[in-house]
Amino acid sequence: MENKNISQIVLERIKGEGIKPISKKVFNIKRVLFWLAVAFSLVISALAFSLILSALFNNDWDLYGKFGFSFILKTLPYFWLVSLLVFIILGEFYYRKTSLGYRRNLSIILGFYLLYTIIFGIMFYFVGIGNFIEQSLLDNAPSYSNYILNRHEVWLHPEEGLLSGEIVLLGDNELELIDTNGSVWVINTEEAFTNGDVKLEVGEKIKILGDKVEENIFNAEEIRPWVGIGMNSKRKALNITPVIQ
Amino acid sequence: MIDHSLCGDKTDNELVGMSLKEPDHFLCLSKRYEDKLLRYILRISKFSREDAEDVLQDVFIKTYYNLNGFDKDLQFSSWVYRIAHNETVSAIRKKVVRPTIALEVEDLERFGDAFDMTKDIDNSFDRKYIDEALSKLDEKYREVLVLRFLDEKDYIEIADILKKPVSTIGNLILRGKKIFKEEYEKLVISK
Repeated sequence: MENKNISQIVLERIKGEGIKPISKKVFNIKRVLFWLAVAFSLVISALAFSLILSALFNNDWDLYGKFGFSFILKTLPYFWLVSLLVFIILGEFYYRKTSLGYRRNLSIILGFYLLYTIIFGIMFYFVGIGNFIEQSLLDNAPSYSNYILNRHEVWLHPEEGLLSGEIVLLGDNELELIDTNGSVWVINTEEAFTNGDVKLEVGEKIKILGDKVEENIFNAEEIRPWVGIGMNSKRKALNITPVIQ
Repeated sequence: MIDHSLCGDKTDNELVGMSLKEPDHFLCLSKRYEDKLLRYILRISKFSREDAEDVLQDVFIKTYYNLNGFDKDLQFSSWVYRIAHNETVSAIRKKVVRPTIALEVEDLERFGDAFDMTKDIDNSFDRKYIDEALSKLDEKYREVLVLRFLDEKDYIEIADILKKPVSTIGNLILRGKKIFKEEYEKLVISK
């Protein structure tokens, strides 16, 4: 093969057109950005996993008997499961863009990614980051508990003895709450117990097990905190300090 | 002016460093690879020699332009082949030409040895069938077979050139060989 001129032509073009190599900084920044994207995806996946654990551990599992398998379908944390999936895919995508990331098999990358997600997710959960984020979302994003955790799916069925909402008034042996549909209920608490860490204060969200007596009147048997009680069902006598607004 | 006779004993990585300081040294690198890359471009495209030389020029310009991005964890050879592969594929798409193989006689011998059919390839009919059988393969099989058996790259180098996992390369070669043999035999039987 005779192509002795090509290299010379290329050199002349480089010199003639003033072609300069792209700065090393550009490549270094690109490399760092891809690794940051991998790390960011991993952190978000781990957070999503810790929130899934939070949602599972805080679910009202004692109601499984009442609803059966549909209880699991209704209360699965779909939002966090989808987030987990999305960030696992993103993490894998960005890892492949790192310098030698393409050399590894998809199954190996996903295996390690899942392993790290589970390890960091469990750490985040036990350090309390999962619960902290969940509590912040519950406090600051009203739609989170209803539409992300699907609590309204389970806890807004007064005919089936399940009611939830925000306390608007506390009285002797009764309280008033407003449910997520905006209806105000008078709750008779005379024979009620609490289960879990319930704060009975105006503005607090609670869940109630009991019976619907008539339209917008409900007899409470058990009052629970808005965050579920998990497996730790423990009934206590009710103690309400009346606050009339 | 640089004395290019001094380049011979330099490694690719040393020449990369030297080219970044003085573009004249890039001539040593490009000279070292121009024959191999031109052959490679011709093998994976159906370009005329002139077109292939144009692609090769672009490959070297792109290589020089991205010289700072060369990852020392790779072999320079793999990196420059990757650029040549990408540029050729992109040129093929622009020209809307279905890539076929342009094999030389020594290519056929290597291919014949690799596939244990040397005895069958010493006439022009067989050469035609090998060309045709290779051209019938999916691009993913064709490119690994060319790199493995004609450019004699090892699995890791092929993985680096095509940016695919090493195990995927192994599977593609295994499957590609099988499909190639089937295609070749079909062509021979139908003759």
